[in-house]
Amino acid sequence: MTSPAHSLPVPIPRWAYAVALVALVVTWLVLQENGIALGHAAETVHEFFHDGRHALGVPCH
Amino acid sequence: MSTDEGLTYKGLTYKGLLARGVGAGAVSGLLAGLVGVLVVEAPIRAALAVEQARPAEPGGGHEHGELFSRGTQVVGGVLAAVVVGVAVGALFATAYARSRRWFTTEAPFVRAVALSAAAFGAAAVLPAVKYPANPPGVGAADTVEYRTVLYLGLIAAGLLVAVGASALASRLGRWSPPVRATAVALAAVAAVVVLLVVFPATPDTVPSDVPGGLLWEFRLASLAETATLWLGLGVVFGLLVDPATRRAEASAV
Ligand SMILES: [Zn+2]
Repeated sequence: MTSPAHSLPVPIPRWAYAVALVALVVTWLVLQENGIALGHAAETVHEFFHDGRHALGVPCH
Repeated sequence: MSTDEGLTYKGLTYKGLLARGVGAGAVSGLLAGLVGVLVVEAPIRAALAVEQARPAEPGGGHEHGELFSRGTQVVGGVLAAVVVGVAVGALFATAYARSRRWFTTEAPFVRAVALSAAAFGAAAVLPAVKYPANPPGVGAADTVEYRTVLYLGLIAAGLLVAVGASALASRLGRWSPPVRATAVALAAVAAVVVLLVVFPATPDTVPSDVPGGLLWEFRLASLAETATLWLGLGVVFGLLVDPATRRAEASAV
């Protein structure tokens, strides 16, 4: 009765969760990293993305 | 329903969705980065000028603009939006694939935009209401960790409200659409009000040398950038996924 293709399930492979984890880590590195993962090098990352962090509403200094 | 499982549909695999999510994220991230350059940079520059006019803090602390030139940081700002756009696009594709049962509509474009609107509400509007974005020179360095925990906690809680609202909508599937939409909207609004009351206020006060007009200009500009990122993602993803779904539907008949 309803069009079947629209409600079709899309099988999600196991590696999809690895992709999601990588995506979360990348987001963390760009927007949140303050030294937990990168240590002293975090300052460079932090300063490089600084305008982006503020513009995207992330708490900063 | 069970007969669907054995069929193959071009363009509807997880890989296909992921590629569309990453592509849509790159496009919306670039658009958001452009909004950043054109709209958010002006109040950032004005705030940096206010910050630099202050006497140097005792003990050094966090100094801006020493590692990179302003020009490099502007490029970094665009790049941040593109990288976050791609990452969020990948997450969006997975959420879209997983959220098949959450929607009361069938149209892929409407689903994509609804999902991005929910994400924009939970990950941008909700934290902007309780912990509004601040330009450089406003936040205190020693409260940044506490503020980050509050901010991320509120986003997580907001995403739970969004998931809960869609679960409620599909559970009330037999109700007429207007009554169901009203009930779900009331429940979501009530949950958001509870979150806004329960979460503690930000520990920082805005320094008196930051003009109120500048603060609001920055906050609205920041919201424009996050709106471009999230809603752009939903619209572009929807445009990419809708024709593929229709083709798949046609080939499956
Ligand atoms: Zn900072």
